[in-house]
Amino acid sequence: MNRSGQIGWRVAACVLAVFVVGACGSSTPSTGGISAQPTGDINFGSDSSFTGPNASFGQEQVAGCYTAVSLINQSGGILGHKAHCSIIDNRNDPADGVAAATKAVATISNLEGTLGPGGVATATEPVYEAAKITMMADTGDSAFNQTHDTYFWRITPPDSAGGYAMAVWALKQNYTSAAAVFSNDTTAQTSVPTLRSGYKKGGGNMVADISLVPDQSSYQVEAARVVAAHPQVIFTEADSQTDATFFKAFQQLNGGQMVPIIGTAPTITADWAKAVGNAIGSANLVKYYVGLQPYVAGTGPSWDVFNTALLADSAEIPNPSQWSADAYSMTDYDGINIMALAMLAAKSVVPIDYNNHIIEVTAPGSGKTDVISFADGKAALAAGKSIHYIGAGGAVNFNQYHNYGGDFSANGYDASGNPTTAGVVSAADIAKITT
Amino acid sequence: MNLLPLFIGFGLVTTAVLAIASVGFTLQYAVTNVLNLAYGEVMTVGALTAYVVNHRGGSIWIGLVAGAAAAAIVSLLLNRFIFGPFARRGLKLFGMVVVAIAVSLILANALLIIAGSSNFSYQFDAGPTFRGLGMILSTEQLVVIGIAVVAMVAIRVLLTRTKLGRAMRATATDESLARACGISVRRVTDAAWLISGALCGIAGVVLGMSVTGWGVFTDQGLLITIVAAAVVGGIGQPYGAMLGALLLGIVTSMVAGYFDPAYRDVSAFVILVLFLLFRPQGILADVVAQREVVT
Repeated sequence: MNRSGQIGWRVAACVLAVFVVGACGSSTPSTGGISAQPTGDINFGSDSSFTGPNASFGQEQVAGCYTAVSLINQSGGILGHKAHCSIIDNRNDPADGVAAATKAVATISNLEGTLGPGGVATATEPVYEAAKITMMADTGDSAFNQTHDTYFWRITPPDSAGGYAMAVWALKQNYTSAAAVFSNDTTAQTSVPTLRSGYKKGGGNMVADISLVPDQSSYQVEAARVVAAHPQVIFTEADSQTDATFFKAFQQLNGGQMVPIIGTAPTITADWAKAVGNAIGSANLVKYYVGLQPYVAGTGPSWDVFNTALLADSAEIPNPSQWSADAYSMTDYDGINIMALAMLAAKSVVPIDYNNHIIEVTAPGSGKTDVISFADGKAALAAGKSIHYIGAGGAVNFNQYHNYGGDFSANGYDASGNPTTAGVVSAADIAKITT
Repeated sequence: MNLLPLFIGFGLVTTAVLAIASVGFTLQYAVTNVLNLAYGEVMTVGALTAYVVNHRGGSIWIGLVAGAAAAAIVSLLLNRFIFGPFARRGLKLFGMVVVAIAVSLILANALLIIAGSSNFSYQFDAGPTFRGLGMILSTEQLVVIGIAVVAMVAIRVLLTRTKLGRAMRATATDESLARACGISVRRVTDAAWLISGALCGIAGVVLGMSVTGWGVFTDQGLLITIVAAAVVGGIGQPYGAMLGALLLGIVTSMVAGYFDPAYRDVSAFVILVLFLLFRPQGILADVVAQREVVT
């Protein structure tokens, strides 16, 4: 080997040594069968859409994250670690989502868990699963209904259940003929198969079934087809601008009249309500619109803790009161708490260690202490007790597929734009029309 | 409810927007031989200018004029500082297409930075809805059709009754001969960019008027259909572009209505491909050759 080659090997050896020393210095030695623990603060990712037409999803999710993390840090952190939220913007696009997730895994230090992935989960979930990072996902994609992935946990009911819930609500109002008007993107389409089958099983007739190409300049043709079918109600999910353009055209072609609208959870956002309200008139929105979303009581001691902390965090969360009754913000808040409590139970912040403790802190059982917050759970665990976490969104009971089922609430708006609850669709009602 | 006249009516609205845009596109190509793929972004400049005027208290009609003027100026500047210099260096078609794509990307992202990703909408009195001949059209849709008719008549008058129009036709037919005959080709070229830019701006504004909301990428999404209308009509033939817009407007509306809305754009491309295969010169090529309308 010549002299330049010898120098090259020496440089490489030095560099390698630096890496080894650095790696050793960034964690404490493993003890007691658990993994080596990171030093410094830990991060929870918030993987959602923060830009584009669905930017409100990200704000909704990170509101829950910031609220949970602020309470965790006020309680002294997790095993001596302060926690933070790191935004991971998937832009609601699979390619962008994979790039963002890959970058997050590679560059966010001490990324020990994540909320989401959301709308592009089929593309991004494998990234986190391969990196062994626990996910508290709010995706409704039916692909995960019977997943065997270890690190994936779904903290909201699947969209397929949402489709059934919409059908149940329509049938309860005696709407026996309906039109389905959904955006043709994968996120919106996950509710459609169960909506169709459940509505039919319950005795309803789908008289029009339209897929909207998002962000078109006009939906006159699509609206004309729906008007011609004379539905009693329109089921829908699309981004705010798409739905606003469609419903304005529908109203124009229907002689200025609207028909009842039943939307999915993504339609229960301020952006959607504002856009569609401007298009068809606020009075019509109040009178005709109802959105189905996973049911959360929105009351009780656990919710009080969540809401108090949420409203106090206006520095990080603009207009926090908009999320007080939001089911997803509550369940995302619960997702962070569940991971944090599992970390305490496992005495490790590393997902490989704490992931298996998630069932332990969420499943009910005799002798368990019900806890309503991270501080509550931390105190109980420190006292040697087994805990059952009941969150702001209620108790979260995971099945063997790490999925969570539950009731749905039908929500609308009052004349002041405040959300209202029109009723509840129970899991039992959904089961009656499940095919 | 009889859907056929409804779909024809909607198709006419689409035709109106397409006609204004594609006539401007093809007119500019006829005179300058530049495939301006930044056309969608120039439409957005017009639409945004009208939005600023409208939201500062100006009526939408003043906004329309402002939008047309702004787009015309941007168009002229693009030629003066980008397309023109490259053309003088002898850059051929492929190179000019690359330049046009680059300009399109730069403009699109600049507009995104300036205007943001939110949706915009104009403030004006929507007016009543009219029913006739089985069609249902709102006041703004009828106005859009009216603007398109006025624009097309104005173009015809320009091309057939004015000195400038004759000069444009001569330059489009044979630039060297036109120059030899004393026509100021540079002035004609400038006029072509200004007029095409104005039509582009008008198209951007009327598109914004006919929808509930639009963003900086809305017009860009229409570019391929505009080019298709121009090609189907016979690239470089303004009257052909009008016919191409009519064909595409009606057919895409019918396909979306009777089959699936997702096939709307697909049908436009199918028509384009069929014309390129079986009649690449476009609808009016033979008529144009006989009547020497433009080329």
